[in-house]
Amino acid sequence: MKEDKMMYVHPAPVRVWHWVNAIGFVFLIITGLQIRFPETLNFFSLEDAISLHNYIGFVVIGIYGLWVSYYFGTMKIKIYFPNPKTFFPDAIRQAKYYGDGIFKGEPNPHVMTPDHKFNAMQQKAYLGLMFLFLPAQMITGLFMWRVKRFENYIELLGGIKIVDTIHVLLFFFFCAFMLVHFYLATLGHTPFAHFKAMFTGYEEHH
Amino acid sequence: MEKKNLKTILVWGLCALFVACFWSCPSVSRAIENSECMDCHGDESLERAQSEGMSEGLHVDNNKFKFSVHNINGITCVDCHSDIEELNFDNEVPHSVSLAAVNCDGCHEDAGKAYVDSVHKKAGGKGITIPCYACHGYHYVTYLEANSVLERENGFCLKCHNPGNFHDWLPQKDAHFAFVECTVCHAPEVPRYVALRFYDLVNEKFLDGEDLLKALNTDYKGFMPLVDSNKDGIINLEEFEGIVLLLRQKDIIGTFHGEVVVDLVPEVHHVNRGGASRECEQCHNPNSPFFQEVLFCLNKEDGTRAHHKVERKVLESYYVNHFYALGGTRIRLLDKIGIALVVGGVSVVAGHLTMRIITIPVRRRRKQKEKEMKGK
Repeated sequence: MKEDKMMYVHPAPVRVWHWVNAIGFVFLIITGLQIRFPETLNFFSLEDAISLHNYIGFVVIGIYGLWVSYYFGTMKIKIYFPNPKTFFPDAIRQAKYYGDGIFKGEPNPHVMTPDHKFNAMQQKAYLGLMFLFLPAQMITGLFMWRVKRFENYIELLGGIKIVDTIHVLLFFFFCAFMLVHFYLATLGHTPFAHFKAMFTGYEEHH
Repeated sequence: MEKKNLKTILVWGLCALFVACFWSCPSVSRAIENSECMDCHGDESLERAQSEGMSEGLHVDNNKFKFSVHNINGITCVDCHSDIEELNFDNEVPHSVSLAAVNCDGCHEDAGKAYVDSVHKKAGGKGITIPCYACHGYHYVTYLEANSVLERENGFCLKCHNPGNFHDWLPQKDAHFAFVECTVCHAPEVPRYVALRFYDLVNEKFLDGEDLLKALNTDYKGFMPLVDSNKDGIINLEEFEGIVLLLRQKDIIGTFHGEVVVDLVPEVHHVNRGGASRECEQCHNPNSPFFQEVLFCLNKEDGTRAHHKVERKVLESYYVNHFYALGGTRIRLLDKIGIALVVGGVSVVAGHLTMRIITIPVRRRRKQKEKEMKGK
């Protein structure tokens, strides 16, 4: 452990955003399931589930504002953009590691630094998540919060069922994402290393 | 010759007797025509003075009245204003100045009985009288069946009530007011149905029955034989799809709007305090009785509508794209996709984790080797 280096890769605004967002997602999923399946689930009354879902939705939208402000304000947003020249070989190498090398005990081909936080697969995934899926989820959620107020926009998208379809499919996607994300977070040098780092900001560098 | 004269005298005598009786006997009244009433009440300026300088308009717009449901059914002015038995044009006002209140119950017996059990009738105990015409109006009552939710609400409840004051608890209250008639919740025992109407997206208007049937090249009688291919009297999802395709072939692109409205039965008057349900799950539930009855509506110009039963499944399709009750009319296919996504995620995690567990000895050996190499 002597050669371990502590590297500051998760600045405070990112950690605050991450955990508020994570807790928000958990509650949005629980209340969302209650709203979607009221005939089966009984966590809350539908009225309470909708109110909670709305309030938490706004918290998640607000905290996304913090993420945008931080990453664009510091111009660190570039860490989300893969290098087009090296993306494919990097992604293939990373996929091989997750699908094969990790089982053999091979080292992770991606070395995390503050300026190179994500591997090629993470960059691609998070780019889609943060710039497409999450905004789409927030916008469709906002439209469904006040259907009459946003009816012109809903009309433009093809009607309330289309808006709902986008929101519901992304909802299920995020449910699956949360499971996979949680699992992938256990793939550090110890199962809790990445969790710890997301609280302290420091990753242990091997 | 004498016989012929006698016959002529007899005929003329009887005629004279008949005319004499008619003019001299006031109790034998002749029918009063609406046109006679309109001679005075057609005058827009006709009014009578009330207390404190107020006046009451007595004008009846004949152009509107002739389209009223009563006139269409041959009900005359004096059928309702039955205390007018004769008109005496020698007087300034040819009938009694003070007329009795119209007794709607005389004809609408069931509605009258149903109204007794309502908050509006019970308000009478507080000194408020809400007669039928306070809601239904006086002379221009038309068929209400084809009215949209907004027309039904604006024409009745919203005349007195401001629902915005009492529904803050209701999520999406504007959407509820736009798609659900007040009485669906406030007279919950009244049968209700989802009325589906076709909205032409190109011309931005609802197509009434005539327009829709013209586009389908049929009429009211031919509609079901045309669309109901399995002849079960219900338009199922496939048959519904067929209607949309037939319309598209005629370059009519649109969507179906849905609204939850009540059947206009006498019990619709059973609006009572505390009768409304606040349980969202009653509607927002795929098994909700609120969405069991779905009708394809062909609205007619006179305010009536022809309707045909539609399979409930249609509400869960993208053909009814502008009517959606969370949970209640959700698209089931999305649930299946959702389950597949979550099961997929769980499988990836479970598969990878299993492989990690199985390959622990491989990694252990590798670490051992690395240690040995370092030791050398």
